[in-house]
Amino acid sequence: MSCAGLNPVPQASAFRRGPDEVMRLARMGCSHPTRLSFLRQFLRRIKAENWQFDRPLWQIDAQGTGCAVYRLTGPVRSYSLVAFAHDLPAEARSDRVIATAWDATFALFDGTPTPEDIDRLAANVPRQEAGRISPRELSLSRANRSVRVFDHVVARLAEGRQPDAAMLLETGYLMRTTAVYGSGKFGAADRAAIAGRPELSAPFQAEMMSVWLTRAFTVDLVEHLAHMRGGDRATRLAPELRRGLGVGNSTGLGMAPFVIRHPVLLNNWMLAREEALARVRSQPCVGRPEYDGFLNALHLAQENARLWHSAHGVQLVKLAELRDSLAQIMDHALHAWDRQSAHPWDDLWHWGQDALQLEGQEALLAAMLEPHGALIDGLGDCMDADEDAFFAIDGAMTIGELRAILTSRYAWALDVDFTARHHSARFWYVSEDKLEPRLGERYHEPGASRELPLDVARQAAGLWAALSDEPDDLPVAHVLLAHPEFRPILRRAQIAARHPFAEIRDNLIAADMLPIDILRCKLAFFGASRFDPRSDRWVRISLFQGAPYPDEMAEAAHDL
Amino acid sequence: MICDTPSTTALELSLSEISALTTRAIRGAGRDWGAAEEGANAACWLARAGLDWASLLLAVLDGPGKGTDCPLRIGMKIADHALLPDSLSRPETSCHKLTAPGFLLPFAAQVADRTATAVVLDWDNTRAALVPGCPPAVSGTTATRPRADVTITSAPAELFERADWPDHHHGLVSAAQYARLTLLVAAFTVPSSTLSQAGAGANEEDND
Repeated sequence: MSCAGLNPVPQASAFRRGPDEVMRLARMGCSHPTRLSFLRQFLRRIKAENWQFDRPLWQIDAQGTGCAVYRLTGPVRSYSLVAFAHDLPAEARSDRVIATAWDATFALFDGTPTPEDIDRLAANVPRQEAGRISPRELSLSRANRSVRVFDHVVARLAEGRQPDAAMLLETGYLMRTTAVYGSGKFGAADRAAIAGRPELSAPFQAEMMSVWLTRAFTVDLVEHLAHMRGGDRATRLAPELRRGLGVGNSTGLGMAPFVIRHPVLLNNWMLAREEALARVRSQPCVGRPEYDGFLNALHLAQENARLWHSAHGVQLVKLAELRDSLAQIMDHALHAWDRQSAHPWDDLWHWGQDALQLEGQEALLAAMLEPHGALIDGLGDCMDADEDAFFAIDGAMTIGELRAILTSRYAWALDVDFTARHHSARFWYVSEDKLEPRLGERYHEPGASRELPLDVARQAAGLWAALSDEPDDLPVAHVLLAHPEFRPILRRAQIAARHPFAEIRDNLIAADMLPIDILRCKLAFFGASRFDPRSDRWVRISLFQGAPYPDEMAEAAHDL
Repeated sequence: MICDTPSTTALELSLSEISALTTRAIRGAGRDWGAAEEGANAACWLARAGLDWASLLLAVLDGPGKGTDCPLRIGMKIADHALLPDSLSRPETSCHKLTAPGFLLPFAAQVADRTATAVVLDWDNTRAALVPGCPPAVSGTTATRPRADVTITSAPAELFERADWPDHHHGLVSAAQYARLTLLVAAFTVPSSTLSQAGAGANEEDND
C-alpha cells in the first residue's frame, strides 16, 4: 500500500537520508533488525489480537518420528503448522538445497486440516521439492537438527538435569530450517490470494508464523524424547533456557536475486525504515520513557553482540566494530548527549555519523527506533507492494524524461567501465541441477550467455549510451522497437523514478561484490539475529531467539 | 522449480509457478529478457482470465519471434504505443497472419487500461472485448489455430458490461506441455561449476 496518506509527521521530511547514502551494499550489509522487522510485526499482532494457540495432534513415537499439528486461531481465521518428524541418518543430513531428506518437514495449512488433508500432506511434504502441495497450504519448509545440541539436551533432560547453558547460548537453536518456501511455490497459495488478509498483508507473515510454530515444535520434540528415554526421571527445559532458543536458518544465494527482482518491494521496506528514522530524528525532545527505552535497547544490543559469534573474517571485523560502537554509544548517551537541544535525537544521529563505523551507525538506528513504537509502528502497513501496478512500461515517456531519470537515479552506474574485468567479473545464472540462482565467474566459467538480468548497473550504462544520439522528444516506445534488449532496465528506470529506494546503488557483478551484504539486509528486515556468514555467499542466522513462545503470549509484554 | 521428476499427468500450477516457468521457457526459447518478462506476465494474465495460457504460449514459441506474425512482439508494440498518436488500436488496424491471436489479449488489456477505453479484437469467428480492469469478454474461441488476421478497434468502455475476474486461475498444464516448457527452461540454465559450488554451502557435512 502507499504511505502517501499516512504521514502524520510532515516535519520528518527534512531529516530523511537519501538513497545514495542508504542503498550502498557496504551499509546494507550492516543492517540490524528493528521493530519494523517482519518477525516483530508478526509477534505484535498475535499479542494485540489475542490469538489462541493449541496443539490438536501429537503423534510422535519414542524414536521421534510421526506427525504433529500446531494451531493458531485469530479473530477471523486459524492456521495450522503440520509437522512431520523423521529418522534421518547422519550421512543424509545436509543443509544444501541439493538435500533430499531432513529431520523434520512442515507445511502451514490454511485452517484446521482434516485427517484426509494430513494424509495428503504426509505423502508430499516429506518429499519437499519433489512433492506437491495445494492452495490450502501457505508454506513448505524443512529443518535439520543441530545434532550436538539436540542430543545433549535430550540426554540431559532424560537424566532430569538441565542442559549446559553455555552450549545452548553458543548455538542458539535445536533445529535450523534450510528452506521456507511460500508465495505459490510447489503449488502453495499465491501471495495475491492471501495478501488481502490483514494478518498476512505485511511481507512474509505466513513464513514467520511457520517458523515461530516450528520453534515450539523443536522444544516439544526434545522434551518428548527425553520423557520417552528417561520416564519419570525426565524433566522439562527450564523457561529461561527455553526462551533463549530460536530457530536457526541456513540461507544461501537464492535470497539475493529476490531483492533485486522486486524493486518496488525493496523500496517500500527501505522507505518505511528511513521514514521511521526521520520521524525519530525530528522529535523536539527526549521523554523519560523514550530515554530509558533507548538505553535498554542499547543494553540488549550489547548483550546480543557479546553472544554473537562468527568465524568469518568479514564478520569478525564487523563484530569488533559493533561491540566498540555500542560501547561508544552507551557512553555518549549516558555522559555526553545533550538531551535539551532543539532536536536531540538528530544531534545523537549526527554524532553517530561522525564517531561510528557503518556497523555502529546502523545499530544506532535500530536502537533509536526501539522506544518509538507509537510514532513508527504504523509504517509497517506500508511495507508490502502491489508490484503488478508498476509492471506496464509507459511508452509515451520521452527520451528526455528517461535521461533525467538515469541521471538522478543511476548516476552511480553511468561512468563505470564495464569492459574492465573487475567491473564485470561475475554473472548471475540459474543452475541446471536445482534451478537455483548461482553466481559465476565470467572470465573463468562458461554460461555467461545465459546470464540473469541482475547486472543492473551495466544495463543502465548501456541504455544511457544507446540514448546518446536520440532526440529528447522521442517517445521511449520507439527506442524499444529498435533496442528491445533494454526493456528490463527501462522498466526498472520507470519504477525507480517513483521509488527512490528501488535500486541497490552498487555494481552487482563486480569482482569485490559480497552477496552476503544483500542477504544481511534482507534478513534484518525479516528480524534475523546472529548473522553468521560461512562464506561470501551463505549464512546461518537465528529467528525468534529470546521471543515468547505461543503458550507464553498471554503473559508476554505488549510492546514486542 | 516446479518438480524434480518428470510428470506423467497434468499439473495444477500456481500463478507464481506459471510466472517462473514461462519466464525461463521464453528466455530458453531464445527470446530476449524483455520478451521473457512480458510473455510471462501475459501468461499469468491469461491464467487469471481462465484461458489456456500454456497452449497459447507454446504456439507463440513455435514461431520465430522476429516477424510481425508474433503476438508477443506485436503485443509489446501495441502496449508501448498505447498513448501515442500511432497507437495500433486507433482508429482501427489489422495484424496479418498472426500466430495464436489469443496471446494478444493481455497486451490489448494494457492498452484498454492506459487509454480508459475498450479495445476489441476480431479474428475468424472470435471477438474479444477488453474493458479496463476487467477480464476479457470472449465470444468464440481463443484456442490456437492456423494463423489469423486480427482487427483491433477501440470503443467507449461504457458500451460494455463490466465483469469480475474469476475466483480461481487456470493453472492446468498437461504433462506434454509441461515437458515442452521444462525442455525450454533447460536451455536457459547453466551446469553448476565446481567454482560456483565452492562457498555455496557447507563443504563438509551439516552434523554440527
